[in-house]
Amino acid sequence: MAEPPKSEEVDLSKLYDAVVIGSGAAGGMASHVLTSHGMKVLLLEAGKKLPIEKELRSMEWPYDNRYRGDLPPNSHSLTFNEYTIRNPPYGPGFEKFKHLKSYVGDSDYTKNIVVDERENPYTGTRYAWVRARCLGGKTNIWGRLALRLSDYDFKAKSRDGFGEDWPISYADIAPYYDKVDLYLGITGVKENLPYLPDSIFQRPTKLNCAEVTLQQGLRKMGRVLTQYRAGVTTDGLKHNKYRSRCYGRGACERKGGCDIHAAFDSPTGLIYPAMDTGNLTVRSNSTVREITVDPNTGKASGVSFIDSETMKDYHVRAKFVILAASTLESARLLLLSKSRLFPNGLANSSGHVGHNFCEHIMGPGVYGRDKNRVGKPATLDDGRPGGFYVPRFRNLDTKDPNFIRAYGFEGGSGCQMFPSGTGIPGFGASFKEEVRKNYGAFIGMGAFGEVLARYENYVDLDPVVKDKWGIPALRFHYKFGDNELKMAKDMKETAQEMFEEAGFEIVRVNDRVLTEGWSIHELGTSRMGDDPKTSVVSQFQQAHDVKNLFIVDGSTHVNASCQNPTWTIMALCWRSCDYLADQFAKGNI
Amino acid sequence: MSLKNPIDLRQDRRQWLITSAGVLGASLLPVSDLAASALQVPTPPVVPHGTVPEAQSPATFFTSAQHALVEELAETIIPADSRSGGAKAAKVADFIDQFLRETSDDAEKSVWRDGLPLIEVMCRHYHGKSFVDSTPEERVAILTVLSDHAHLTDLPEVRFFNSLKRMTVDGYYTSKIGIHDELQYKGNRINMEFVGCDDQPPAKS
Repeated sequence: MAEPPKSEEVDLSKLYDAVVIGSGAAGGMASHVLTSHGMKVLLLEAGKKLPIEKELRSMEWPYDNRYRGDLPPNSHSLTFNEYTIRNPPYGPGFEKFKHLKSYVGDSDYTKNIVVDERENPYTGTRYAWVRARCLGGKTNIWGRLALRLSDYDFKAKSRDGFGEDWPISYADIAPYYDKVDLYLGITGVKENLPYLPDSIFQRPTKLNCAEVTLQQGLRKMGRVLTQYRAGVTTDGLKHNKYRSRCYGRGACERKGGCDIHAAFDSPTGLIYPAMDTGNLTVRSNSTVREITVDPNTGKASGVSFIDSETMKDYHVRAKFVILAASTLESARLLLLSKSRLFPNGLANSSGHVGHNFCEHIMGPGVYGRDKNRVGKPATLDDGRPGGFYVPRFRNLDTKDPNFIRAYGFEGGSGCQMFPSGTGIPGFGASFKEEVRKNYGAFIGMGAFGEVLARYENYVDLDPVVKDKWGIPALRFHYKFGDNELKMAKDMKETAQEMFEEAGFEIVRVNDRVLTEGWSIHELGTSRMGDDPKTSVVSQFQQAHDVKNLFIVDGSTHVNASCQNPTWTIMALCWRSCDYLADQFAKGNI
Repeated sequence: MSLKNPIDLRQDRRQWLITSAGVLGASLLPVSDLAASALQVPTPPVVPHGTVPEAQSPATFFTSAQHALVEELAETIIPADSRSGGAKAAKVADFIDQFLRETSDDAEKSVWRDGLPLIEVMCRHYHGKSFVDSTPEERVAILTVLSDHAHLTDLPEVRFFNSLKRMTVDGYYTSKIGIHDELQYKGNRINMEFVGCDDQPPAKS
């Protein structure tokens, strides 16, 4: 694999065609598409450019790591219990630890990728907010499940009356899903499901025996189990010299990314190739604090940012501002960008910025044992980018009496590096033998359900608390509602019924709902729509109020669907940036 | 040997705590040198307020006698057998020592500081000798008392057992012996093709 391209000097006196804020899935995609159209782009990232392969060390054995892969003992990552009994900000009470991290920062491989909670406080209702400030953001460690949405999502209001329809339909975005598939690579198996459209898949992974048993059980119930659709190139990408194909190595289950970049990440998949066009300049350590506006034209004029390390303040000008800082950080920046023309925050004449905030509810699921796998020699089950996915089956042809919308399950089985069966009681020779006999016999799955996009779930700015850079913190007003909790109950019941149908011994049924935010799928704080009174951006993610401002991340999603959002974020962003570049070329904006 | 069942831990511990007062004061029972030093609580290294111990701290958390005791305790949790080495061979005591030496979690340190002497006191109560001098059967009998009462987490000896088990499991199954000899883990290597159920011999049920 090729070395990353050298960054060129950043010339802040220049007028860039576009400045992109954020380098994750959306910011990377915007950089790729705009530079491919010949536009001169400056990409700003708040965090460092990490030596990412040295962080991830995907094939390191635990015994070669001082802490066996765990977080060093001077650091702490928040646990479910701590998120439950405490309220944000989560810093106070952990002073004895040098670093405090979100729950994802619980390994030696992720600790430098996620932010320090104390430097980045937030307030309000409980929320497990996972933030990655470094080049590539959360794409360095994402779960890789890459699903398409369908008209069951885009036209959900037409089906059940709740919320708003998206201003686009599947036909509008389908060609862009195809582009994302081909440019970045995705593995999976075609299923021809109208509610989970197929991608253009590369070589699929294989199911192991317990997973096949579950698949057969589900088939009897009219439900589907398919191989994990991962944003991973299993055949390789001839056009990308920074990424290797997947070699089925270990540690994919470990929280952490892929150090050969078979799994998509924004730097190797999008940013480095964009730098090779000669049109992209990248500046890391650039914490944007405001999008500035020309008071004469009402258009965005550029951005003000603080050097994250030197604390020096800078301003850079651009013809277009592309906001891709993540759903919550983008909302925060819009609310921070107040001016005489935009007293409620930029692009917020609708009052909807920060609102309609939604994500996925997680927690309920099932854990079981396939008795046919007990006592068998260890099998090779690791090294796959994921196990299986069970697509939604609620509220398709029939209406559930208790809740609207749906959920899917992610799961897996087999021999992982650390055995699954050590939770059993006892010790000694019999304990050791039980763990060994059951090594490959356990199977589990957990649900991801749609949280309804409701106006009353929102974020705003805390009037007092500021982050390390003196920027007002975000304040949460967000709770799961009745529909989500009823859905969670159903998740638990259907999970159990599916394992029973497969003939598995049920070890544990989880009904515990994880803290709000746990899914890391936050969406919807600047939703798209045709009506400027009830939406923030157009179908091309162009701010209704500020024509040269585009918001291209998950904040524009009208609902959360129950399918993971990353592939949709990138497909929408590609579509919008094609539109932007076309308008730019025609001199329309 | 196994102990008379069922043991009422709450009731029994009243008796052995009386014994422990004696042991910790002027000893009424014959105590081997090794066991006696295992009872001593090590002084924690002095760390300036607000700093974090350096990773290469030369001090150990356990005294050498305690280290020997922890080795035997861990080996009782995961013993060697015909397939693979146990916790002792996997150097689990070193793993636990390093964790306790470096952690900022003072509560966890206390669990171990309080727990090791309590194990000795229990051993003396039930068997009249120290843990390291006990037979494998006697060792299993002592830990069985705690394992059977693993839910009584208000008791320091139970908290100790639970931590001992958790840390032994963590240390063992992340060791070379645990991963390769015991589990015979097949992953973490380059594979040209994915492997699935159809590549494995059919499961006979």
